Amino acid sequence: MIDSVKEILKGRKDISGWKLRLTNIESQELFFVGKSLDMNRSKNVQHLELTIYMDYEEDGKKFRGSSTAEIHPTYTEDEIREAVEATAFAASLIKNEYYPLVKPREKNSDTFISSFMQKPLAQWIIPVTEAIFKADEYREGCINSTEIFLDKTNTRILNSEGVDVSFTNCSAKVELIVNWKETGEEIELYKDIEFSDFDSEVLTNKVDEMLKLARFKARAEMTPKLKKSTVLLTGEPVNTMLSYYYSQANAETVYNKLSRFKTGENVQGNTIEGDAINITLRKNLSGSTESVPYDADGFPISDVDLYDEGVLKRYWGSNRYCYYLGIETTGNIGNIAVKGGSKSIEELKKEPYLELLAFSDFQIDDLTGDFAGEIRFGWYYDGVSTIPITGGSISGNLLEAHQKILLSRELQQENNFSGPKTVKLFNVNVAGIE
Amino acid sequence: MKVLMSQYLKKVKPLLKHLVFELSKDFNYVSVLGTDTKGKTYDVKRTGVDLNDSFWNERGFVVRAFNGFCYSEYSFNNIDKDNISEKIEEIRTSIKEQLDELSRNNIRHNEYSLIDEEPIEKSFYGEVGILPEEVSSKDKLARMQQMMEKGFSFSQQLVDFRVSYDEVHISKVFISDKKDLEQSYIWSEGYLVPIVRKDTITKYTYKGYSGLKAVELLDEMESGIEYAVKEALELLDSSPVEPGEYDVICSPDVAGLIAHEAFGHGVEMDMFVKKRAKAQEYLNKPVASSLVTMHEGASAAKHVSGYLFDDEGTLASDTIVIKDGILQTGISDLLSAMKLNTKPTGNGKRESFERKAYARMTHTFFTPGEDNLDAMIKSIEHGYLLDGVLSGMEDPKNWGIQCMLTKGLEIKNGEFTGKIISPVIMTGYVPDLLKSITMVSKDFKLSGNGACGKGHKEYVKTSDGGPYIKAKARLG
Repeated sequence: MIDSVKEILKGRKDISGWKLRLTNIESQELFFVGKSLDMNRSKNVQHLELTIYMDYEEDGKKFRGSSTAEIHPTYTEDEIREAVEATAFAASLIKNEYYPLVKPREKNSDTFISSFMQKPLAQWIIPVTEAIFKADEYREGCINSTEIFLDKTNTRILNSEGVDVSFTNCSAKVELIVNWKETGEEIELYKDIEFSDFDSEVLTNKVDEMLKLARFKARAEMTPKLKKSTVLLTGEPVNTMLSYYYSQANAETVYNKLSRFKTGENVQGNTIEGDAINITLRKNLSGSTESVPYDADGFPISDVDLYDEGVLKRYWGSNRYCYYLGIETTGNIGNIAVKGGSKSIEELKKEPYLELLAFSDFQIDDLTGDFAGEIRFGWYYDGVSTIPITGGSISGNLLEAHQKILLSRELQQENNFSGPKTVKLFNVNVAGIE
Repeated sequence: MKVLMSQYLKKVKPLLKHLVFELSKDFNYVSVLGTDTKGKTYDVKRTGVDLNDSFWNERGFVVRAFNGFCYSEYSFNNIDKDNISEKIEEIRTSIKEQLDELSRNNIRHNEYSLIDEEPIEKSFYGEVGILPEEVSSKDKLARMQQMMEKGFSFSQQLVDFRVSYDEVHISKVFISDKKDLEQSYIWSEGYLVPIVRKDTITKYTYKGYSGLKAVELLDEMESGIEYAVKEALELLDSSPVEPGEYDVICSPDVAGLIAHEAFGHGVEMDMFVKKRAKAQEYLNKPVASSLVTMHEGASAAKHVSGYLFDDEGTLASDTIVIKDGILQTGISDLLSAMKLNTKPTGNGKRESFERKAYARMTHTFFTPGEDNLDAMIKSIEHGYLLDGVLSGMEDPKNWGIQCMLTKGLEIKNGEFTGKIISPVIMTGYVPDLLKSITMVSKDFKLSGNGACGKGHKEYVKTSDGGPYIKAKARLG
């Protein structure tokens, strides 16, 4: 199919450039209710995404339009021609600042090899299932339901400048719901676990960790009406919170004037009273589903130092937006590594705190830095005793809090994020219940 | 104007019937859903313009087969008369190999009965004011460009004024031994997004438009530009709320979010099968104030999820979930209904042909009441009128609710004070929130912008709404 599309594109002298992105996805999926299989699914699909670029000049200034459309594998030759025509027409209507396409570069070496590639995907579904259920051994708690998705994706990216790169990556996603019941109501906790490399023990431990959390949630009391509190975020919410620094350093965000972060400046202010932010974007992060050698334009990815002691070293982004900013392209990199801080978790817990580990949906607004979430599980330490809590919410703004933010020395890895296990924030709004 | 069925699906239908026939030799029940969804997304912003395929575009198939104890599925998107035999073999082999692997490893399985269908042949073709192809992309972009320029004319404090418009033409066929269904309809949605900045403070809001409409939606959007800018500018002077419990009036958008998160997700009956829904224990019991009646269903309203049949070939219906405060029933996909021995409600939806079908919402709303908004405002000593939906999250097991909202307008002694709180997180225990409803307005509005996920995935199109409601809620 790629050859047919290329042939048609070759005949179009009005087109300034093109990009093709072909993905073949093979998938194995199992859906369990309790320990019983409720449905099995598999998938074999192909997607071909065509982008056409059209250049023109106005008042001596060069512009570039582009448009993207999918060429379905069931398209006839005539339908492909129609799609090319329609996409070229759409691109001709778009007047964006000019940018060049990615040019061929040295092939990316040293890419992450997943264990899932060692044998057919269908043979991995049982080991993954067994690793999940191995942790399901408690009397009061259990796995309520789980969904397992294993994908193997072959990607090929080509463009009119001669880029032609291919790679294969595998990913696993587990949706896990666990229950626990003691004397009160049965409770549940929810978690998505994503990984690209299989380690049976790591997966079992993650499930076990969830079940243990559920046990404490079942004993939880309502979050006290604190109004304001020191808050520790532990686990997944840390990733969400620190992702703000990643999105604010994105070249597209900067170009659209949606970021106020400037390179060379300390984004936390000139007098950091807590820990400084240090972030590196990584090509390879072991087990991450974002560990790929090329971005969606076929640009080879390398490690990039983003923040050093709170100072934004550079922006990151696609070929287009880096060109707009007049900076070297980094490509879109999805792995984020944040350096740990100055204190241990034990040290962070010396004064009263609310430590929050699970939310309904903890969010930070990429634009404003506002964060909030309904508390599903946490710990409250009032200076004397520590109790499990649930309910209510926290809210605040990272830009108002990050001068004093403290990061734990202990690290964690959740898929594409490696960084402190715990962060400490002061004076956070708490809408408690009792 | 009548929406036309995908010619591709019409052409491929005989092949699908052949596929069902052949696979039926190995499996006692076989169905296939075919989808052909085409759409374009138009985006205009200060720094440029984009025109691409819609996120919702797809063309492909999913086969469901009874494997003797439960159901297996296979998704694919490459079929023609030359490869049909090969494809049939691929599906047969794939399902059997997966089952063999599971059986070799003693994986337990649930038992389902055979789907029993009534013979039916039916079709539905929607109608819109102006079909997408009647107006050129160039003209649509030009109108959106004008909207952006008009937006910018209202304030120097705008960092951007984004205009987006998505038109999506859905065609589906469902074929089984007894069913031959086809449908085609169009929905569209648009957003006006002003982003404003004052010194170090950045704020934004959005005004959303949606419906079983096409290009006529652009007319509606034009009327909201000035209001959208004014609202964003007001947010620059907003402050966080003092955390606590307040009397609140929820706008129809926010009331819709509550209906959706509180009792929409809570009564998706695949959650009953998994014993994840507290609602199951409350059937025929009071769960809300007697002023509350709530509907859910693809045929309950004409909006973005207004189809004839769902993704499992079940015809759409209108389910009364709550009547006068009493929980009546839930909404279900076909397999959950079989498991629970209830009637499927036509709520089996897939994100795409590549995904599993789950019990999902369509149109979810509270019905209007007898109160006037003015009287509702007058009745509040200190509270807020909450407006603007950012996101929501369900907790069907423990009946928690999280609603992220754009703003609250402070009311003191029955009057707006001019103070605005933003952003707002509203949380609470669902029955407490719904039982606290004391006034329901005569207004009614549905909104179908954005997408609804199940957990953190499986995005589908839904609408929700209702009247203004007065309740007690915890704000943070």
